[in-house]
Amino acid sequence: MGQGRFVAFKGTKTGIVLQLDDQPAFNDLLGALDDLKEQAKSFFKGAKVIGTEGRKLNIEEKRALARAVEASFGMQVVSLEMVKPKPEPVKAEAKKEPEGPFQGLEEGITKFVRGTMRSGRSVEFKGNVIVLGDVNPGAEIIADGNIVIFGTLRGVAHAGADGNDKAYVVATRLLPTQLRIASLITRPPEDGPMPDHPEIAHIREKHIMIEPYL
Amino acid sequence: MGQVVVITSGKGGVGKTTTTANIGAGLAKLGKSVVVIDADIGLRNLDVVLGLENRIVYDIVDVVGGVCRMKQALIKDKRNEGLYLLPAAQTKDKDAVNPDQMKELTGKLKEEYDFVLVDCPAGIEQGFKNAIAGADRAVVVTTPEVSAVRDADRIIGLLEAAELNNPRLIVNRVRVEMVKRGEMMNIEDMKDILAIDLIGVVPDDEHVVISTNRGEPAVHNEESMSGQAFMNIARRINGDDVPYLDLELQDGFFERLKKLFTFK
Repeated sequence: MGQGRFVAFKGTKTGIVLQLDDQPAFNDLLGALDDLKEQAKSFFKGAKVIGTEGRKLNIEEKRALARAVEASFGMQVVSLEMVKPKPEPVKAEAKKEPEGPFQGLEEGITKFVRGTMRSGRSVEFKGNVIVLGDVNPGAEIIADGNIVIFGTLRGVAHAGADGNDKAYVVATRLLPTQLRIASLITRPPEDGPMPDHPEIAHIREKHIMIEPYL
Repeated sequence: MGQVVVITSGKGGVGKTTTTANIGAGLAKLGKSVVVIDADIGLRNLDVVLGLENRIVYDIVDVVGGVCRMKQALIKDKRNEGLYLLPAAQTKDKDAVNPDQMKELTGKLKEEYDFVLVDCPAGIEQGFKNAIAGADRAVVVTTPEVSAVRDADRIIGLLEAAELNNPRLIVNRVRVEMVKRGEMMNIEDMKDILAIDLIGVVPDDEHVVISTNRGEPAVHNEESMSGQAFMNIARRINGDDVPYLDLELQDGFFERLKKLFTFK
């Protein structure tokens, strides 16, 4: 049982990765593999091994390991190179730290608001917000993600409210009382032209830039 | 079975009371039986505008509290056969009545009268909640000022939250010349922001000031433009299809054409 921990099979999208302990002698590893054979043989049959992690192997060891894996489990060995350890820690970090800013700008949880948001209405959401209607003066949207308005924005919108400065605000007509993205705040010029086309507001070089959209 | 119409605005001083008095008088002139209720307890005005101040014996708080019967508190208008006023109490405050009591009161009144108009106090607190409690329809009064439109927007949101959907808009005190010069908000902009249907536009008119102070609603004055506008609103509330006065139409043919082109 103790030896079983020296080797583990990890499923990934593309195939199986062998996780190897780098403490024990190589022969003990092979022994551990042999121990696993009985329980897991049929389960892994035909699966592809696409790499290893946790232990550097020399060519001889790789051959031995490949032979053992193919013979004992009926798996197909594509590669026994070390898989890049990088993607792993990044994923782990994202999961461990929910305190960081909202990351779902491209693909994340989204709230839909239908109808005109009138003065006094406030929508706060830890994600993207889409409004199908106007946002009138005195109404506010505070979203950790993007804000998209199918209508006129006349009120206050705060995108990337928990700090994501990649967040943006798009509206059919962008005439906000005030616009906030991450930690930046802006307001429209006093006598600015009235846009008659959709616009996007996003951060460019530490300033909120407003540009025509489409 | 009649209907209860609340006249509200959010902001004070935009002409709710004048509008209530004039629509009430206008509907009465059309031969309808009408009760106007002053829901502005503590700051009553409707009696003054109708010129009935000195006839008040009982008020709405007395009716709700069972001090008197409904008929005793209703004051018959001096000019119109079918118009009655239920005045507010001046010495009490808004908490003297609650929404359930208002509902019961207006419910009783609409069984007997064609229209029950409720003059709502300014603000969004207790007085507002009382005023809208029994309403079947709502009319929102605003003036062409940014602050009044803001408040109207807030009020429309609260009306919708109270399931008084699709309120109608009255734009009061429009100065046509100023709008034409682009110095006043135009009606289209207001409709665009508030996104509700218009039921009337009332021009700013010195007659209104005079008639309000005299306690004679402007609808009785044939020469008053605002009187005509209020009369038209009364007809529209009554369900008649009335064309808009020339002055009410802010966009001439060419302006509309221009708009069409600028929008592309």
